[in-house]
Amino acid sequence: MITVKNITKVYKSHIRQNNLFKDMFFRQFKEQTAVKNVSFSIGPNELVGFIGPNGAGKTTTLKMLAGILYPSSGSLSVLNQNPFEKKRGFLKQIAFIMGQRNQLIWDLPALDTFDLQRAIYEIDELKYKKTRSHLLAILQCESLMNKPVKTLSLGERMKMEFIAGLLHTPKLVFLDEPTIGLDIFSQEAIREFIKEYQETYKSTVILTSHYLEDVKKLAKRLIIIHKGTIMYDGSLKNIIEQYSTEKRIKIKLNETVSEAKIKTIGNPLMYIYPQLIFSVKRSELPEKIKQISQSLPFSDLTVEDASIEEVIKTFFSENKKK
Amino acid sequence: MKHSFNIFLLFAKNSMRTTTQGRLGVVVFTIGKIIRFAFLFTLLSFIFSKTRVLKGYSIQQAALFYMIFNLIDTISQILFREVYRFRSLVVNGSLDTILLKPYHPFLRILVGGVDILDVILLVPYIAITIIIASGIVPIGHNIFLFFVLLINAIWIATSFHILVLALGILTTEVDHTILIYRDLTSLGRFPMAIYQEPIRTIFTFIIPIGIMTSFPSQALLGMLSWDKFLISFILSSILFIVAMTTWNFALKQYQSWGG
Repeated sequence: MITVKNITKVYKSHIRQNNLFKDMFFRQFKEQTAVKNVSFSIGPNELVGFIGPNGAGKTTTLKMLAGILYPSSGSLSVLNQNPFEKKRGFLKQIAFIMGQRNQLIWDLPALDTFDLQRAIYEIDELKYKKTRSHLLAILQCESLMNKPVKTLSLGERMKMEFIAGLLHTPKLVFLDEPTIGLDIFSQEAIREFIKEYQETYKSTVILTSHYLEDVKKLAKRLIIIHKGTIMYDGSLKNIIEQYSTEKRIKIKLNETVSEAKIKTIGNPLMYIYPQLIFSVKRSELPEKIKQISQSLPFSDLTVEDASIEEVIKTFFSENKKK
Repeated sequence: MKHSFNIFLLFAKNSMRTTTQGRLGVVVFTIGKIIRFAFLFTLLSFIFSKTRVLKGYSIQQAALFYMIFNLIDTISQILFREVYRFRSLVVNGSLDTILLKPYHPFLRILVGGVDILDVILLVPYIAITIIIASGIVPIGHNIFLFFVLLINAIWIATSFHILVLALGILTTEVDHTILIYRDLTSLGRFPMAIYQEPIRTIFTFIIPIGIMTSFPSQALLGMLSWDKFLISFILSSILFIVAMTTWNFALKQYQSWGG
């Protein structure tokens, strides 16, 4: 579906010399490599999380894959085509939804944008109505499509944005920070929607997000990019196993226990009765559970991995050392 | 082609619906159009009352040049209104979403803002042009040539606006470029003959303002030679090729700002 070989994107920007004459007639430029020799491939029906800090090159890569940006070097094939040629057949099979962009007609109800999309993508009337109803039902927002877009909240607008972008049921969906700026309820609704959409329509989805929760809940495969270079390409499970060196033991106590007694097991990460949390090394886990079972009165005990944020933090700090 | 035309009509419909959303806007807009037309009418009456001959042209002929200039200018403004809003699309990155749609981006960024209400403004212009022309224009093949050159003029205007769009991508500057274009075209309000050389040649053949605004009037009056008629198509074709090459170059340089 997607094959990328050694793509590089260099941006050229003007350096201010604090001299109007020089700035006008002897302009100097600096080159900034946003993406450097990146290679990967993505198969059909995959949901890939693309993460990295600000300015890492995530969005630039996605924009080259979609055909918005022209790569400075390297080759890429998306749906067996060169995306930059922007052939109609290719554009009809993709969607690019950006959390910070709005394609809805601001003054009119979202329904007008939906109708426009139907004409643009030449969607059969019956299929259009069926897909529209289905997408509206998943997001539970049937009542919103007749309200002028300018009267909708950010979360509501994003839901409409998703429907407008996916009415043509594309084979390949690029999602660039789709949950940015949304409250936790809207974020959750969008995540559920993406999951259900991908399962129903069997699309390939590439997702970038700063909210690692998005990636954790949706993607099985993770690509980590930093300073324009791919640092990890593999399963989410592997990276958690590799970089989550500690585990969390969460305990719900039956009765209060003295701090001295708790410290015989180890220093707790948190203790507010009845919640008690220990962070322990993976290798020490069986021993610690045994100790807890023997000395503490509890009604519930769970073992969890470190949060995805911590895993990624560890990943970056360990790679920095290398 | 049918697909593109359908989308063009939908954009026009949505543009009109957007305009009519605010009733105050419609009222102010309509008053503005009436005032603009009144000014034009007053100016014409003033010129008629003060002058009889303008650089070899009778005053009726000069008035015809003026009206045909207005006609071409108004048609281009109706067609290419969206170009005036292009900068914000580039600066906030919304151009990205347009470039990814399965239609030619010009459908949206060049002719995507046609307001059908504007077309009403053309009716009085056409009426006055016919009244002025009726006494001085000979009936013959010159009328056919006029319409061919009118289409050529719109083609030239299209190329100029494509260049403005390309420069918009390369420099994120549209407002000044469009003002320069409007200032240049305003030179065509009156026959090119009133300007001295080399201005006349430069603005006829190098920057084909004269071909765009004066040649249709000259053809209508039976004053345009066949060689100039043919040259006008060669120059408009060259301008179109330059505009499209610049546009394609600009797309390759596009940096997709704001994201």
